[in-house]
Amino acid sequence: MKKNVGKIIEVSELSVKVLLYDQNIRIKDVLQCELEGQIYKFEIIEIDSNIAQAIPYSRVAGLKKGIDVDLQEGGIQIEYSSKILGKIYNPFGETIDDQPNDSLRKRNIYDRNLSVEEISIDNQPLWTGIKALDFFSPLQKGYKMGLLGGAGVGKTVLIKEIINNVYKKFRSNAIFCGIGERSREGKELYDEMQADNLLEKMSMVFGQMGESPCQRSKAIYSGLTLAEYLRDEQNQDVLLFVDNIYRFIQAESEISTEMKRIPIENGYPTTMATDISEVEERINSTNKGSITSFQAIYIPADDITDEAVQSVTTHLDGQIVLDRKVAEKGLYPAINVFKSTSKAIDPEKVGEKHYNLVQETLRYLSRYQELEEIIAVLGIDELSDEDKNIFYRSRKLRNYFTQPMFVSENFTGIKGEMVDIADTLQDVEDILNGKYDDIDEEKLLYRGKLNG
Amino acid sequence: MSTHIENLVNKKIEQIKNKENVFDSGKVINVKDYIIEVTGLENVGFFEKVIIWEKGMGYINQIKEHSVIVAIVKQNAPIQVGDIVNATGEQFKAIFAEEGLGRIVDLFGIDLLTGRAFEKFKYINIENPTIPIMDRRAVKRPMLTGIAGIDLIYPIGKGQRQLIIGDKRTGKTQIALDAIVNQGKEMRKTGDDIVCVYIAVGKTKKEIKNIYNELLKRNALSYTTMCVSTNDETPPVASLTPYVGLSIAEEYMHQGKDVLVVIDDLKKHADIYREISLISGRTPGREAYPADIFYLHARLLEKGCQYKNGGSITILPIVETKGGDITDYISTNIISITDGQIVLSEKEYSRGNKPAINYGVSVSRLGGAVQDEEMKKLGAVIRRKFLSYLETKEVYELANMDEMSEELRNKMKQGRKIQEALKQQKFSPLSPSEIQERFEPFKD
Repeated sequence: MKKNVGKIIEVSELSVKVLLYDQNIRIKDVLQCELEGQIYKFEIIEIDSNIAQAIPYSRVAGLKKGIDVDLQEGGIQIEYSSKILGKIYNPFGETIDDQPNDSLRKRNIYDRNLSVEEISIDNQPLWTGIKALDFFSPLQKGYKMGLLGGAGVGKTVLIKEIINNVYKKFRSNAIFCGIGERSREGKELYDEMQADNLLEKMSMVFGQMGESPCQRSKAIYSGLTLAEYLRDEQNQDVLLFVDNIYRFIQAESEISTEMKRIPIENGYPTTMATDISEVEERINSTNKGSITSFQAIYIPADDITDEAVQSVTTHLDGQIVLDRKVAEKGLYPAINVFKSTSKAIDPEKVGEKHYNLVQETLRYLSRYQELEEIIAVLGIDELSDEDKNIFYRSRKLRNYFTQPMFVSENFTGIKGEMVDIADTLQDVEDILNGKYDDIDEEKLLYRGKLNG
Repeated sequence: MSTHIENLVNKKIEQIKNKENVFDSGKVINVKDYIIEVTGLENVGFFEKVIIWEKGMGYINQIKEHSVIVAIVKQNAPIQVGDIVNATGEQFKAIFAEEGLGRIVDLFGIDLLTGRAFEKFKYINIENPTIPIMDRRAVKRPMLTGIAGIDLIYPIGKGQRQLIIGDKRTGKTQIALDAIVNQGKEMRKTGDDIVCVYIAVGKTKKEIKNIYNELLKRNALSYTTMCVSTNDETPPVASLTPYVGLSIAEEYMHQGKDVLVVIDDLKKHADIYREISLISGRTPGREAYPADIFYLHARLLEKGCQYKNGGSITILPIVETKGGDITDYISTNIISITDGQIVLSEKEYSRGNKPAINYGVSVSRLGGAVQDEEMKKLGAVIRRKFLSYLETKEVYELANMDEMSEELRNKMKQGRKIQEALKQQKFSPLSPSEIQERFEPFKD
């Protein structure tokens, strides 16, 4: 701790201005002061000659000008040792679950850039056991998968299901990074992991929606640092879950407005693309280990063309888009099959059979959409026999891709199920070939595999 | 104005006369509606209460290098450049009084029915820090509204935040009032301790009085506080009122009680906050709302929780939409905060399906986790059947009923019966056993 490096000259809800006495203060340094027994901390965002703009860790009620500030050396740091597993941190590297925070080795949450040489590309498939996901947007180790969806269409449920399936199946260590989402869900995830004895293989960072923009914007960096430790020091294949990366940009927008920087459309910060790249480029695999990431992406106002959403998706290897129209029909996971893709949908990667089935399924479903409109005017009876087949089989396909989930057993009252990709492919082929023509479409709702 | 403010002013005048604390008083140099700039207040803290000499009261909204920005919360006369402003050395706080139960109160601790201040009170923070993630517990106890469409299909748990959203006059407030009234019935049955807080933002006095009368008529006031800002208060007051309502709720929660909070409504609150932000010169974002509009509501609604001491805060925020569009910016923001939404539609309302819930788009993220075993089992079946009916109805609208398969025809018939059974008049709550009796026949 370096004493008296400056004093506060301005205070507003989300920022403070500090007059610096010390020449050696840098951007991203952390300042702190104490007033009436309360400690206030800030991170420096901008320095203009000897005046620094900083953002507070939490609320500043009661703070005055003229108060001296100290420098907390090393900036924001988090534990960088095998002690990280099983712990819950806030974005500033402090444990919030009463566990010791005593590793000798800590690391600044920003210092890590990968060179092109270090980047390694692995091609092993990674199956989640979720039919729609494995079929329409299969993933491979080291992939970055986006889960896009508007408010309340089931992003968090799906990410929890993936955690449940992938994590239980592969038993590799995982980092969960909760950004700007519900504290209730964060706590429930913690409780569930603890109940299943999975906590010791995982660490979590939370900067949830009730917290300051400073917290919400730092959580991703802290989470990344933990994932990098497991990859670089332990040579592991790590799973990184980020819920929700959009909230990181949202927090950056709040900070940027406070800094009075000129925004781009919809109030997003000018530096948005840079900020995202800085984060996304750190999520990569090296020859030491891999990071496979699942990133939930909130779609504001159901507008998928939103600038922030688009900026994130350019970094991804695949995306699963959740659609309100599908959710309204009670079909979960509410996947929009036309917008959900993956770089692995390639005959060379998933094989001819899988590839062809996806193409055929999409052909059926897009014809089904057209037929729906025709039926609205003419009724079903007017369709040709071929179209009737497409119509009924498509409805069956649509129902088939719903799935009972482990994490929503409470809601649906049906036991969760994982489905092997080979079974999914077989079932889809059978439905397309008319094997289930005589079965009521209802019977295909919320079940696992059909054959056997 | 209340006595404690007068006392404060007198104390300060005394100090100034004695030339103590010369820096504690400043001058207005700029007036922009209810946002003023003051010089000379060198030693004030952020969010400190200040008195505008004989004219009103405000709080420090920003401390600048050579001046401070004050947001006005009380004003009796027009404020002019040159007016004297005195610091008070204390945070701007709200007032909590146990006597507030059964009354309509504002954030200054005034009983609006009598115009008098409460005798026994304590100061509370306008806004408390966020409840730490590790102090929360799973939401799993049911919060019964007495409405079958909610308790059975989209249940609410104690500690849940469930949005009520819909156009004008679709019965949003009614659902909230039904829930409040039903808490009385629950308390008589179980002996639990429940407190309700009804928060009104920017409502007319007539609307507030109406709600008061409704609750009075149904004996719901003995356990309900109405924390309101009428629409003639200054915007800073309206923007703080929901926080104060939640601070009052937190007081009760820390006593181990279950609290039900209704916020009516958050769209208006967002608009008021936008006005303040734009007048203060902050950069507008999407739909001209400031960048922190999500944070504004997120930190408010995050106060809803099942707390570790057994108490809880359940929040039913209300949002008004236009043309039935729930995908606009503010609505989706709030949907992404809450644990589910009850969507009310004009179409259902005019068809006479009351409560006018649109079951297709309504959601409860907690679902069966907050229902007891029987309700959970029954609810899951009825929900699935009913949603499937609604979807099929849409597709086969034009199809000839007689040509349908037996199975399909039965499904349609049963679906219609479920819809009929879901109809319920206002203030006619059903208990879980009554709901089960009513819906058991549709189980198979």
